[in-house]
Amino acid sequence: MRNRILLVFSLATTLIAAVPAFAHHGTAGYDMSKVVTLTGTVSKVQWSNPHIYYTIDAKDESGNLQHWSLEMSAPLLLERFGWTKDSIKEGDQVVAEAHPAKNGAPVGISGTATFLLKFVVNGKPLPSR
Amino acid sequence: MMRNRWVHFTVAIFASSLLVPFALCAQTGAASKSGSASQSSAKSQAPDLSGKWMIAPGGASLDPADPSGTHPDELPMTPWAKQRFDAAKPPFGAKGTFAQNDPEQIYCDPPGMTRLYQYPWQFSIVQTAADVYILFEYTHAWRLITMNQLHAKDFDPTWLGDSVGKYEGDTLVIDTTGFNDKSWLDNVGHPHSDQLHTVERFRRAAQDTLQLQLTIEDPKAYTKPFTAVRNFKLSSFPLGETMCSISEDDSFQKNIMDKTVAAPSK
Repeated sequence: MRNRILLVFSLATTLIAAVPAFAHHGTAGYDMSKVVTLTGTVSKVQWSNPHIYYTIDAKDESGNLQHWSLEMSAPLLLERFGWTKDSIKEGDQVVAEAHPAKNGAPVGISGTATFLLKFVVNGKPLPSR
Repeated sequence: MMRNRWVHFTVAIFASSLLVPFALCAQTGAASKSGSASQSSAKSQAPDLSGKWMIAPGGASLDPADPSGTHPDELPMTPWAKQRFDAAKPPFGAKGTFAQNDPEQIYCDPPGMTRLYQYPWQFSIVQTAADVYILFEYTHAWRLITMNQLHAKDFDPTWLGDSVGKYEGDTLVIDTTGFNDKSWLDNVGHPHSDQLHTVERFRRAAQDTLQLQLTIEDPKAYTKPFTAVRNFKLSSFPLGETMCSISEDDSFQKNIMDKTVAAPSK
């Protein structure tokens, strides 16, 4: 657990223009007008159908640890954007952007067939669009 | 009948290795010297639609006037269809919700023929002299289109229906009937009945563009036919795999979907 202690934490919310998006199940549960930026440690990688998701331990502005789940596109689509199943591994330090859930749950969407938000893994950016 | 279709499919995959000369023949109009006169004639008339075609994201509704599903209630539905449409909680369009009851996503039901063209993956068209096969990345579904034949007289309704095809100039025309009524017509929850009859018209609008005109006729569900148009781009990606797995979906449901439809946090 001590290994998961985070070095840098930030949670920023930015208003952005709405972007077209396509996910297998739509994006109705997310606020696509907002982006949160998470800095934390990857605690789980689920590289599978229908969508990949990563679990990231990050602290909020009050210093409380939150367990975020970030949805991505399907494996086949993410591979076509240049990612692999090893692009992000458990224990990696990441800075990740996501559109947050409308209900305030620590869940977000970071990629679909039409967009892929910023991910920086151990200081190195992954392909985005 | 199902066994025969698997035999057809296996033969088609083997035969696909022979398609390069067939495709070139179709493109150049040159007749095969080794084939009979009638075979050469039939091949030279077939447009080359082979390749891997990428489905663009979007177009959740098959309403030609409203492809994004902003006003999904404006299709001319019968009372039978309207009742089902009102009960549907789809993932896309004006009624889009994560608290959905889409049988494809809840049960991994097959999406049905028309929805296979609505997800952003590839499909490949494989043309042989006797049949055409369409192979979809999404759920690895495949369709058999028997060329220049009438529909089978006796068949059970199925998810993908019974398809027969013919060439009209540069266009592949596929006529399909014999659907069950278990799938939705599109991603915004429009229903269809077992009276659904579709006509697909595929043509190369450009070397790298395949155009589909998809006509929907379903007198039990809609008071008049309508035709949706989709364009697909030629792709260089190899065909991959995208499956619906209930065990994988269960993990995603619990960790993503369920959390987003829970009551807002205080």
